[in-house]
Amino acid sequence: MNPEFERNVWLEMTPQRVLLMVAVLVLIFFAAALTNDYWTPSIAASWLFYLIVVVWGSRSAAMSVAGEMRDRTWDGQRLSALGAGTMTWGKLFGSTIYNWFGGAICLALILVNVAIHVGPATAAIELIYYLGIGVIAQAAALLASLIAVGRGQSHTRFEIFVYQMAGIVAAAGVWWLWSTADPVAAILSHKPAVDFIAWWGFRLGAPVFLLVSLALFAGWTLVGCYREMRLELKMRNGPLVWLGFLVFAGIYFAGFDAWLSSDVTGWDAVSLRLLLAGSVFAGLTYVMVLLEPKDRVHYRWMEGQFRQGHVLNALSGLQAWMMSYAGAFAMAVALSLWLSRDPVSAQTARPLVLAGMGFLTRDVALFVLMQTLPGRRRGDYAALAILFALYVLLPAIAVALDGRSLLFLFFPQLPSPQWSGAIAAWAQGIAVAGWAIARLALTERDRKPVPA
Amino acid sequence: MIEVEDLVYEYPNARALKGVSLKVPDRTITALVGPNGAGKTTLLRCLAALEDPYSGRVVVDGRDTRESPREIHARMGYLPDFYGLYNELTVRRCLAYAARSHGIASALTATAVQKAAGRVGLIDRLESKAGELSRGLRQRLAIGQAIVHEPQVLLLDEPAAGLDPQARRDLAQLLIAMRDSGMMLVVSSHILAELEDYCSEMIIIEDGRIAGGKAIKVRDDARPRYMIELATARSDLRDFLAAKGADVAEADQNHAVILFTHNAGARARLLRDLVGAGFEVASFAESSKALEDAYFSAVGRAG
Repeated sequence: MNPEFERNVWLEMTPQRVLLMVAVLVLIFFAAALTNDYWTPSIAASWLFYLIVVVWGSRSAAMSVAGEMRDRTWDGQRLSALGAGTMTWGKLFGSTIYNWFGGAICLALILVNVAIHVGPATAAIELIYYLGIGVIAQAAALLASLIAVGRGQSHTRFEIFVYQMAGIVAAAGVWWLWSTADPVAAILSHKPAVDFIAWWGFRLGAPVFLLVSLALFAGWTLVGCYREMRLELKMRNGPLVWLGFLVFAGIYFAGFDAWLSSDVTGWDAVSLRLLLAGSVFAGLTYVMVLLEPKDRVHYRWMEGQFRQGHVLNALSGLQAWMMSYAGAFAMAVALSLWLSRDPVSAQTARPLVLAGMGFLTRDVALFVLMQTLPGRRRGDYAALAILFALYVLLPAIAVALDGRSLLFLFFPQLPSPQWSGAIAAWAQGIAVAGWAIARLALTERDRKPVPA
Repeated sequence: MIEVEDLVYEYPNARALKGVSLKVPDRTITALVGPNGAGKTTLLRCLAALEDPYSGRVVVDGRDTRESPREIHARMGYLPDFYGLYNELTVRRCLAYAARSHGIASALTATAVQKAAGRVGLIDRLESKAGELSRGLRQRLAIGQAIVHEPQVLLLDEPAAGLDPQARRDLAQLLIAMRDSGMMLVVSSHILAELEDYCSEMIIIEDGRIAGGKAIKVRDDARPRYMIELATARSDLRDFLAAKGADVAEADQNHAVILFTHNAGARARLLRDLVGAGFEVASFAESSKALEDAYFSAVGRAG
């Protein structure tokens, strides 16, 4: 047996706790059966599954590494011979084994009820959904806590609550999407379920499409946990897996062009797909530049590797935000070239795309810059505050002072002349990026080793 | 063998290690000493492949810490300065988990647990919960977890901190026994008295560098350190001792610290020669503060 899983079983599945879980659940189901009209045992089981596996399970998963850090047992585990895969699944399913035990009791009741009243095929679909939402919630919470460990954050109750919330929010998203196509929910709410989803021009069955999507995203979340665990165990991650995820995300989300075609008039399917893929890459750039440690020592190491001609070594050190930015940039260039085929789009949409890329450059550089300034531990918060000012406060002030024509300085707009928006965005981007690079170079110069 | 070549380690705001090079031979207990903040713990964590060097390299048992951290972890035991235990687990389960997570097969785990518990003197506590143990017993359990897989290298950061005198003595005996069984040990501490009883080599870290540039041999059972004190000053003391085959570690007109054979007859002859040459020998005894002498001698040289 996986030693990490076994250790968690020793801690979590004591006879007293097992009996307590069974007794409490049986009492709740019995009470629900007595109320009959309002609260059936299967409805209670469904809510209890969410409570035990999603809400509580997310906390257990978030605590699995953060708790080790807090209790100072993590270094010992890092020095074990366990591989990253063994450690990941041992932590993920070991720390939540008690939650899954309670969840399994609830799930049995749910599935028996669905199988009797709707049919075994629907029961099988429900099984996949419940397992998927549980795994996604717990894996997302574990991933959030591992990312925080990598950032060197402390592990206060509030921070652990934030990691738990990452799992709950991920599960809420899955629940919301699934509720539109869930055959059981449709029967209970007397509303028709969504039958088909348009994707890459195909009409696909909604339940199957959503379940496959759920499985794929659960898989990527687990891959994310595995890779973060590798970093924690001092193993290196190459860039290929994140590049693979970018390709997957780009293709997956680009397929939803039909959903936009009514909102963006005059754009063909190719433009919309490039826009969707680029937007996803830009979004991932923002997420990853916020989450990843912006370690000056690492950037200096990369620069040194490039300077010494060790290009592959340097590329192996690329962070996810850098690759996402490159993906967004490539999509912006491709979209810009595609739009230039049509004179109207070339004059209206293209400047907006290029301005958007300029603002993305500025914002990313701002996160890096804030890490090079004094008080860098709060650098990310400072960057977020500045972005709030740039995107919300200053535009609001400009509008209030009748300076609507200045909005192109703050986000993509079509001013007159049309290209001034893109020029202004890129001027800001280059200025902030130059400042950040200069700060990195300056700190390096200040820290040249003193001759022994 | 641990080999460190021109190791530089950087924190975002400070360079903690500034080009450290050293070798730690097998079957030794090496003291890593220096003032607080000198870089001892950082160096120890680099040796444990828990931190990546900014430049330079660390090779443990022929493996580079950057390239093969997990292979090194499998062959290493590490006791950090602030360690934790699974308080709700029994001693037996703590040791069993440590053994299994270091790759010991299930069938061999019980034997490994018994052996480790025996070495750290916890055989009669196997069913006690870790959280119920005293400070000294917790320390033993932590060391037991670090050695249950019989590593080739054992790194300990301030292992005697907070222990009472009896527990410190037990710890010293345990470390010597582990060295004799073939392990290489590196012990970091800023309290020299703790290290005096068992360390044979010493590396002094000062401001991220090794003072004196290399490891210092502080104990050699074949050639221990002896302190000679004179009642009357003689300027030729160093030359006389050197001429008699002693390695003079330090000397002035009133005293000398020498490395000399452990053979009683040879020592008796040296003492007789000293007295015969007119030196008024007030004392001639094995130095009980070899490490401290070597430390201040080296720090003096470095300064």
